Amino acid sequence: MDISAQISLTVLMGVFLVAVATWLTRVENWRSYSPVGGGAIVDRSGYVEEEKPAGIIRWLTTVDHKDIGILYGLYGITAFVVGGLMVTAMRIDLVTSESLLGTATYNGLLTSHGITMLFLFGTPIIAAFANYLIPLIIGADDMAFPRINAIAFWLLPPAALLIWAGFFAKPLGLFGPAQTAWTMYTPLSTGAAGGSADMVGGAGVDMMLLGLHLSGVATTIGAINFIATIFTQRGEKVTWANLDIFSWTVLTQSGLILFAFPLLGSALVMLLADRNFGTTFFLSDGGNMLWQHLFWFFGHPEVYVLVLPMMGIVSYVLPRFAGRQLFGFKFVVYSTLAIGVLSFGVWAHHMFATGMDPRLRTSFMAVSMAIAIPSAVKTFNWITTLWNGRIRLTTPMLFCIGFVSNFIIGGVTGVFLASIPVDLVLHDTYYVVGHFHYVVMGAIAFAGFAGIYYWFPLVTGRMYQASLGKAHFWLTMIGTNITFFAMILLGYGGMPRRYATYLPQFASLHQLATLGALIIFVGQLIWFWNMVSSWFEGKRVESADPWNLADDGVNTIEWQWFGTKLDTQLATDGGEADEVATDGGQVDADDASADADADPETNTE
Amino acid sequence: MEETPGLSDQYRKASPWPLFIALGVPISELGLLFDIFPVAVGGLLLFCGCVVGMLQEAGYIRMPWSGLAVSAGLLFLAGGGVLYINPQVGVDMTLRAYAILASGLILAMGAGAGRLFVPKSQFPA
Repeated sequence: MDISAQISLTVLMGVFLVAVATWLTRVENWRSYSPVGGGAIVDRSGYVEEEKPAGIIRWLTTVDHKDIGILYGLYGITAFVVGGLMVTAMRIDLVTSESLLGTATYNGLLTSHGITMLFLFGTPIIAAFANYLIPLIIGADDMAFPRINAIAFWLLPPAALLIWAGFFAKPLGLFGPAQTAWTMYTPLSTGAAGGSADMVGGAGVDMMLLGLHLSGVATTIGAINFIATIFTQRGEKVTWANLDIFSWTVLTQSGLILFAFPLLGSALVMLLADRNFGTTFFLSDGGNMLWQHLFWFFGHPEVYVLVLPMMGIVSYVLPRFAGRQLFGFKFVVYSTLAIGVLSFGVWAHHMFATGMDPRLRTSFMAVSMAIAIPSAVKTFNWITTLWNGRIRLTTPMLFCIGFVSNFIIGGVTGVFLASIPVDLVLHDTYYVVGHFHYVVMGAIAFAGFAGIYYWFPLVTGRMYQASLGKAHFWLTMIGTNITFFAMILLGYGGMPRRYATYLPQFASLHQLATLGALIIFVGQLIWFWNMVSSWFEGKRVESADPWNLADDGVNTIEWQWFGTKLDTQLATDGGEADEVATDGGQVDADDASADADADPETNTE
Repeated sequence: MEETPGLSDQYRKASPWPLFIALGVPISELGLLFDIFPVAVGGLLLFCGCVVGMLQEAGYIRMPWSGLAVSAGLLFLAGGGVLYINPQVGVDMTLRAYAILASGLILAMGAGAGRLFVPKSQFPA
C-alpha cells in the first residue's frame, strides 16, 4: 500500500476514534448537558424512562435481555430473508439444465445460503428466544452478564457484512464471494497457498472466514452467558427438578457450543494462517483429512446446537394446545442430554467416502445409529402427548405438528445415511441435501415459526392475523415436502449435489423442486406481511392469557410476567375497544373441539 | 460523579461500551489479516479502550489507567510473540507485529499520562 493511502487511512481511523470517544463522553455524561434527559422529544413510556434512554440510543446501548432478544430476532429474520432470496435465485437457476446465473454466481450463492441460514439465522433466532424467555421463565432479573450479552449480539452484524462482503465487492470490481461451499474443504479453500490459483473467491474467502470466526466468538460467549444464567440466576422456586424443558435444551445446547465452536474458531484461524501467513497446517500430507476431521467435529454437533433448542420449543408449546402436560418429561430431558453427549461421537459419518480406516467407520456408524434412539424417544413423547389430548389447531400448534412430521422424514432418511453401504451409494447426492433440509427447514425453521407465533402476543402485545398464519403454514408445509421429497428422489437417481448444471433426465424433478421452493417463497411473503402489519396494527391483547391456557391448567410462567406488565402499564393509547379474538383460543372449555377451534371465523382477522 | 451521572448510572439497563467492543474486534482483525497498519492499530485501541471502559463502568476497577496498562502489557506480549514467530513462517509479519506493539505503546502512554495528569478526584471512590 502506498504512503498516501496509509496516511489517509491513518487520518480516517484517527477521526473515527475521536468521534467514538466524543460520543462516549457525551453519552456517559448524559444528564450533565441535557437536564431533561436525552431524546426528550421522543415519546417515552413510563416503563422505559427509568431504565433505558429513548430513541435509537436505547437500541444501541441496551443490555436488557428482552431488548437484546428482539435485536437477535430482527437480525435472524433479516438473515432468513437474505438466505431465502439467495436460495430462491438458485432454485430458479435450476429450472433449466444450463445455469442462467453462471456457475461462479451459483457457487457463491450456494456457499452464502448455507452459512447464512446456519450461522446468521439458525443460531441467532434461537438466541432470540432464549434471551427473551429464559430469564423470564427461570425467574432471573436478567442474564448473568448483561454487557457480555450485548457484545455477543453486536459482533453479529459485522460478521454478516464480512460473510456477504464478496457480493458487495464484486460490482466494485474488487473480489467475488467465496465459492467454497459452507464446508470450506481444503485444498479448494486453501486457494493460492495450496499451489493452485485461487479460483474460489480470493479475499472473499478470507472475509468469509473472518466473519464466520466472529459469529463463532459471538455464539460462544452467548453460550457461556446462558450456562452461567441457568446455573446461578434461577429464582428460589426453580430447582433442577422443575426446570422447564426449554431451559434444559438451551443449557445442553450451550454445553455443545462450548466444546464445538472454539474448535471451529481454531480451525478457521489455521486455515486463514495457511492462506495468508505461510503456515502449512492443511498443506502437508493428511492436511485435507485433518480439515475434515476438525470441521466435522464442530459441524455435526452444530446440527444439534440448532435442533435441540427448537425441540425444546416444540416440547414447550405442543402440550399447551394438546391440553396436557408433556408426556414423559424426564425422558425428554434425558434424551436431550443423551443427544448432547452422543453428538460428539458421530462426526466421521460425513467422511465415510474419504477412504478412512474401515474399523473407525464402523464405530461411527454404530454411534450414528444409536443417536436415533434418543431422537425417537422425543418423537414418541410428542405423539403420546397428542394422544387423547384436547387438540387445538392454532398456528403454533400446526407448526409443531409439522415439525414432528418433517422431523420423522428427515430423521429416518438420516438413519439410512448412517449406514456405510447406503452412504457410499448416496454420498454427495441430492439425497443428502433432501435429508438435511427436512431437518433444518422442515423441523428447525418450523419450530422457529411455532415459537414466533406462540410468543408474538407476549413480545408485541398484539395478536397476529390467524388466517394468514394458517395460509403460511399450509404453503410452507406443502412447499417443503414437494421441494425436499423431490430432492430425495433426485438423489436416488444419482444427481450429485452442489452443481449449477445437470443432465436432462433430472429436469422434471428439479423443476418440481423449484415449484415447491416458489410455494415456500409465497408462504414466507404472507408470513412477513402478517408479522409486520400485525406488529403495528394487530389487535391489542388485553388478557394475560391470550391462548386460554388456564382452561386446561397448562399455563406457563412467562404469561404471568406478561400479565404483570399489562397491569402496570400506565396508560394505553386508547387501543381498540373490540375484544381480542385469539387464534383458536376463543372457544369455551365446555363445547370445545378441535374442529371449532380451527374454524377461521373464530379467529382474529 | 454523583452530580453528573453517566448513562449507565442513570439508566440501569444501558451501556454504551458493548457496541464499540464488538466493532473493535473485526476492525483490528481486518487490519491484521490484510496487513493494514492504521486499521489494525485503530481497531486494537478501540477494543482495549472500550473493554477498560466497561470494566470501570461495571465497578471492577476504579480508574481506567491500570486497566490500560495491563492491556498494553498483553499487546506487548502478543506483538513480541508475532516477532518471535516471524522467521519461522513463509510470510513477512513484521509490520503486523509493529502494529500490535504500536497499539500497546499508545495505550501505555495513555495510561501513564492519565495517572500523572488526571486528578483522582475525577473518579468516584
